[in-house]
Amino acid sequence: MLSPERRPSMAERRPVLSNSSSIVVPHLAGIEDPLPDSTPDKVDVLIVGTGMVESVLAAALSWQGSKVLHIDKNDHYGDSSATMTVDQIKRWVNQVNEGEYPKCYSNAKLYVSTSIENGRGRFASRDFGLDLAPKILFAKSDLLSVLVNSRVHQYLEFQSLSSFHTYENDSFEKLTNTKQEIFTDQNLPLMTKRNLMKFIKFVLNWEEQPEIWEPYSNRPIGDMLVEKFKLDKPQVFELMFSIGLCYNMHTKTPEVLQRIRRYLSSFDVYGPFSVLYSKYGGPGELSQGFCRSAAVGGAMYKLNESLASYDPSSKIAYFNDGSKVSVTEKVVISPTQAPKYNQNAPEQKYEIHRLTCIVEKSCEEWFTEGESAAVVVFPPGSLKSGNQEVVQSFILGSGSETCPKGTSIWYLSTTQQGPRAEMDLDAALEAMEASIVRESSSDLENDESILRFGPNGEPVINSVRLGQSFKEYVPREKIQFLLKLYHIQYTSTPPFAVVDPSLFDINREDSERLIPGASDNGVLYTAMPSAEISYDEVVTAAKVLYEKIVGSDDDFFDLDFEDGDDAAISKTDFENAIEDDEDDEDAEMSVGVGRSGTAECIGEMEI
Amino acid sequence: MDCNSSGRSGNRVMLQFKLVLLGDSSVGKSSIVYRFVKDSFDEFRESTIGAAFLSQTIKISGSSEQSETVIKFEIWDTAGQERYKSLAPMYYRNANAALVVYDVTQQDSLTKARAWVNELKNKVGDEDLVICLVGNKIDLCDGDEDKRAVETGEARDYAAEQSLLFYEVSAKTGSGVRQIFESIGEKLYETKKDELAAARNRQMGSSKDQVNVQLQRPSTNDPTSCCY
Ligand SMILES: Nc1nc2c(ncn2[C@@H]2O[C@H](COP(=O)(O)OP(=O)(O)OP(=O)(O)O)[C@@H](O)[C@H]2O)c(=O)[nH]1
Ligand SMILES: [Mg+2]
Repeated sequence: MLSPERRPSMAERRPVLSNSSSIVVPHLAGIEDPLPDSTPDKVDVLIVGTGMVESVLAAALSWQGSKVLHIDKNDHYGDSSATMTVDQIKRWVNQVNEGEYPKCYSNAKLYVSTSIENGRGRFASRDFGLDLAPKILFAKSDLLSVLVNSRVHQYLEFQSLSSFHTYENDSFEKLTNTKQEIFTDQNLPLMTKRNLMKFIKFVLNWEEQPEIWEPYSNRPIGDMLVEKFKLDKPQVFELMFSIGLCYNMHTKTPEVLQRIRRYLSSFDVYGPFSVLYSKYGGPGELSQGFCRSAAVGGAMYKLNESLASYDPSSKIAYFNDGSKVSVTEKVVISPTQAPKYNQNAPEQKYEIHRLTCIVEKSCEEWFTEGESAAVVVFPPGSLKSGNQEVVQSFILGSGSETCPKGTSIWYLSTTQQGPRAEMDLDAALEAMEASIVRESSSDLENDESILRFGPNGEPVINSVRLGQSFKEYVPREKIQFLLKLYHIQYTSTPPFAVVDPSLFDINREDSERLIPGASDNGVLYTAMPSAEISYDEVVTAAKVLYEKIVGSDDDFFDLDFEDGDDAAISKTDFENAIEDDEDDEDAEMSVGVGRSGTAECIGEMEI
Repeated sequence: MDCNSSGRSGNRVMLQFKLVLLGDSSVGKSSIVYRFVKDSFDEFRESTIGAAFLSQTIKISGSSEQSETVIKFEIWDTAGQERYKSLAPMYYRNANAALVVYDVTQQDSLTKARAWVNELKNKVGDEDLVICLVGNKIDLCDGDEDKRAVETGEARDYAAEQSLLFYEVSAKTGSGVRQIFESIGEKLYETKKDELAAARNRQMGSSKDQVNVQLQRPSTNDPTSCCY
């Protein structure tokens, strides 16, 4: 039930410091509070599962003043967004195949090389951090501003990712994403350059020019790019699939425009790149960061604890270890941790097919100098499987500290439904394999056609030419796979939508909706991660839940830290790039609005 | 390498280390941190849910060299998770040092401290992790040795056997607190200086080392000035 009155905000709740002249409470310092020795008898909100959305929600609620108990049935953090060691992956695969996550995962197939065997192999299980749902972070996004506002970013380390490749005609074309690159790219005709610039100028302010896009609002954007901007297929594909990260040809024009702008307006916020990723692991790391923030804000954490049932009339939650807690507001559950005998867990209609590989190759050839990650996109029809949906591939090298030197992790995924998805994944994997063998091969030096010489006579490999001669190349060398994992993940979020708020309405508390005998009446379920490769849905999803619980999202991460030098980036500067494309487009993301003062350093703390 | 050489000017070397605090509730972890960081003590401090992220620098004289070394500790005090031992790996990942604290007037708290030492040794991969066992609240035993529940010898023997640094301190009076951090700083400096020299030599060569992006520092105030 929603409380009619708003609870006092964080600032109001904070105890008055008696001698505040001499004591400055450092940022993230906890609220003084007596310590309970066991599970408390009463909490405001019980959250089950420590995935990304649940963790952001836990932190937001704790800082708002709610008493949160956050549990996870696993012995690690992260749930459906966990970062796992190889041993943890093995255990997880067994659980999936034993049917422990009926609606959430299926068909897990795992191969692990004997090189990763603790004690005996060349690599240890914990040398690797594998993400169940890897994500990239746009430099201008709502999650980024929450990370800064909450100072959770201080627990984490981020690196840049500027290599985006589109696979076309058997080759990886590197994204031309700066004005400079567009003008210096020898392969682009002058006319194309001009058209591309014209489009980029348009897209940064697209809502204000409905006369251009409205005629195409129900048609694929390709039509507009070709008819209005005279762009050719390679540019269209690059814009839709590498920059826009769309899944297929049929995406509606406004959606694609929004996504293209997301990339472009993120460019140069921190440097000449649009995207970041976190070191040591993706959403699994971020979840831990938000959990820690929640704990500092007063939330209680208990791993290895699972929910048995919730009784909405007495508002008591029962755990499988026999303990119980009374919940004044709400129980929020991740679908992967739904209690036994649940009957309200939402259908997860959409499949995401994932293929995760650990490869014994550094793959530096794909990275920009000084970076350790790349994205390769396989547009529809680019693979020999005749793929209709895009295959997206996110590659992490050892600089990300998720794998040892000389290895890399390849995350492939597709929104293709049904059995042909695996064929697409295999075709993409094969293309990547052949390409990396080709690009890293020592035979290259003998192949004059693809060798050029730099100003000082040093050999330079021309990657475009590489691609062209790629067809004739028969690799001698085979790539060593240290691990290969196929699995299907299910989600209730259709490709492209950001969490459907109606999802949460199924759980309304009117008694006629209660299913007799169900163990999960009256609870709220979170959504499984969607196919979206960025974090863009996370804050939206957490906010919707927050509003359901608190009554308003006004004070969502409305934090001010005692040390005064507050986050200079106001949270209203950033709004979700995808969520708003229907109703209030022009309110959001207009480029160039109030970002003054952002250069101020807010991270350092003097004591 | 875990330590960062964040700046060198002349003979000044700045090293940054991550230090985590562990131990039973109310043994005085936060009080030790506050004594070290702010040189203050709060008698009426309720047990903290968690002070999460403080930092303090100290200077150490270094070894034979004439150089001055500044060490910055990034201090992670435990937060609410701790009561269920649900620490996130993020908490101890890349920790260079750990203070495992017990209360000299509570025998039980040493048992807990031993458990934490074992957990650290299992979970932190770094061979060079410096662990310091700290017996706190010795002021309570001043002139009243009856209050003491853990004999100095017992704890010292255990520390020696596990090769831990060992100190008895009082956060209330401040006695011994600084020494903890100084000796940890010196020990870390000893173990890391070879790596540092190696890193310095490497810097002469290629600078392919990857740089982290500081999220609180956007590179520009005006996104319209970007390349488009
Ligand atoms: N007499 C005396 N009391 C101390 C000393 N250090 C801490 N205390 C008191 O012991 C109590 C607990 O200290 P904290 O620093 O909050 O303990 P903690 O280990 O951080 O506790 P948690 O945060 O609950 O894990 C407080 O009442 C302090 O005033 C000391 O050296 N001497
Ligand atoms: Mg404390």
